[in-house]
Amino acid sequence: MTAVLDIAPAVRRPDITDAPEVTLPVPATLIEILACGAPDRGDDSAATIAVGRLADTLPDDVRARIVGQLDIDDLLAIPPGAGAIVVDTAVGVDPGWIVEIPFSGLAGRESGIRPRSSHALSIPETVAVASIIRGRPLQGMVVAVGGVDFGLGESLSWPVAAAMDAFVMAIADAVQRVRALVAGTPPRG
Amino acid sequence: MHDAVSAPGGIDLAVDVRNLTRVEGEGSLHLRVRDGAVESARLEIFEAPRYFERLVVGRSMDEVIDIVARICGICPVAYQMTAVHAAEAAFGITVDPATVALRRLLYCGEWIESHALHVYLLHLPDLLGYPSAIDLAQHARATVEGGLRLKRAGNAIVARIGGRAIHPVSVRVGGFSRVIRRDEIASLRADLVEARDLADATVELVAGLQPPAFRRDARLVALRSPDEYPMNTGRIVSNDGLDVAATDWESIFEERQVPWSNALQAHGRDGRPYLLGPSSRVTLDADRLHPRAAAALARLDLADRIANEPNWSIAARAVELVHAVAEAIDLVDAYEQPARGAVDWSPRAATAAWATEAPRGLLFQRFRLDDDGRVQEARIVPPTSQNQAAIEADLALFAPTVLDRPHAEITHLLEQLIRSYDPCISCATHFLDLQVEDSS
Repeated sequence: MTAVLDIAPAVRRPDITDAPEVTLPVPATLIEILACGAPDRGDDSAATIAVGRLADTLPDDVRARIVGQLDIDDLLAIPPGAGAIVVDTAVGVDPGWIVEIPFSGLAGRESGIRPRSSHALSIPETVAVASIIRGRPLQGMVVAVGGVDFGLGESLSWPVAAAMDAFVMAIADAVQRVRALVAGTPPRG
Repeated sequence: MHDAVSAPGGIDLAVDVRNLTRVEGEGSLHLRVRDGAVESARLEIFEAPRYFERLVVGRSMDEVIDIVARICGICPVAYQMTAVHAAEAAFGITVDPATVALRRLLYCGEWIESHALHVYLLHLPDLLGYPSAIDLAQHARATVEGGLRLKRAGNAIVARIGGRAIHPVSVRVGGFSRVIRRDEIASLRADLVEARDLADATVELVAGLQPPAFRRDARLVALRSPDEYPMNTGRIVSNDGLDVAATDWESIFEERQVPWSNALQAHGRDGRPYLLGPSSRVTLDADRLHPRAAAALARLDLADRIANEPNWSIAARAVELVHAVAEAIDLVDAYEQPARGAVDWSPRAATAAWATEAPRGLLFQRFRLDDDGRVQEARIVPPTSQNQAAIEADLALFAPTVLDRPHAEITHLLEQLIRSYDPCISCATHFLDLQVEDSS
């Protein structure tokens, strides 16, 4: 039940993609995982649950934070040279399906898949504005699971509950991919 | 539903925006025009009901303060401030003056972050002709950076006093969960001084805008306090002579369920919609603005447009940014660290009611408490559910004035009008009629 979307950038942003390459020092935190959603809104809690299950297994250079609603400042705070993984629940995709979208593929896309956590500014807009302010593209991915039940309560719908193992593995896999992205090398395996 | 408004020419039109962008939460717009007359203008709120009024039943007011903060990630302080003041009034608690100042400073922080977000990332792209915040950032990066620094100054206040920037945790009945030290508050000053310049620059930026023209008479409602710009205290006043205690909200207004919205809609008991928020406050409380903000309002020379043209709400937010930053600096400078975080108190059976001014307008809460001070029944009325009827009424008035434009432009102008009210749809989704059957 895993669908992987890898969408090429629909809109080229010359003023940031053409920024001169500079060598950045390797930051102590190489990857930040930002978990979105509310723990008391059904499937909206999937990201925090999944990241919580991964927390003890993460390498020292990977930091996980629960942000609730993704803010531009969350992305501006990521050290130069590091990457980010935004984890959320999505609508517009079948419940329980998992989507993995590189930041480079977010801008200008119109697939209808939207993060479900309430964000005044959408995640694609937040990532794009943060990249522009940072002066260079932010490396990273969105990993989301399709949700269906967002009512009050901590229980997950059965399609999301059944997908949680795959969701956790998708986040772990994203760590490897983003690590390769920020290192400028292809992922292993 | 609204009275049909005719436009020249027998135009039929349907506008459906399934997912409104750059608003908080999930809503849609549906407009129907037949033969030049608006048949219906609906702001449909389909975000799932959240049942917070049931969730707080059986809880103490200290628990309620933390629970209601979860209603909104943008204005949690408003929910906490309303609940804590309701509790303290019900229990007869007098708090330390330092607590009064800290709560006002906390509220300033929330206003700064909420208004900066709306002005720079949600509303400004519309008014500068950019399709999104991304395009605005590309073409005016320094402007957006300035807006984000302004927002960050507000976030820092909430984080420092509240313990974290979103859903703060330090507010308690009788004060705060700990003594907040003088040096902690003083450390906010440098960023606020920079924010003061950024707020002034925001006013200058707004002065050069030319929002779409749309003028109407609206019933404006806000709190009014005898000696300060309204945040935590005041009576409910309007531009047509209303003047009642904030605790009497239910004697003046009522909520109704409408079939197209998961948010209850509030009207006056006379059936009229009314508008809350920055434009109402700036209009009804201009003489309570900080001198620096009053000077900004005078420089803008937009008081009449703020009162009568919803697309000029950005000017009201700019003025309130100046106010909130200037008052925050004054509060930081005058802060005297209290001897203890909170005063002692005892619960009792009471009705706890209060209203404060959230960034988007008046927020009313009422709790019926038992002998142990636990909630038996609750009512929470967010500003967006109160503004919803006024937004629909304005859409019905505005649509006929743009029917000669291309469909895409009409749609954009209607979306833009909705964004000008800064609706917080996640806040608005609440039901009163939840039935819980206990099978035990």
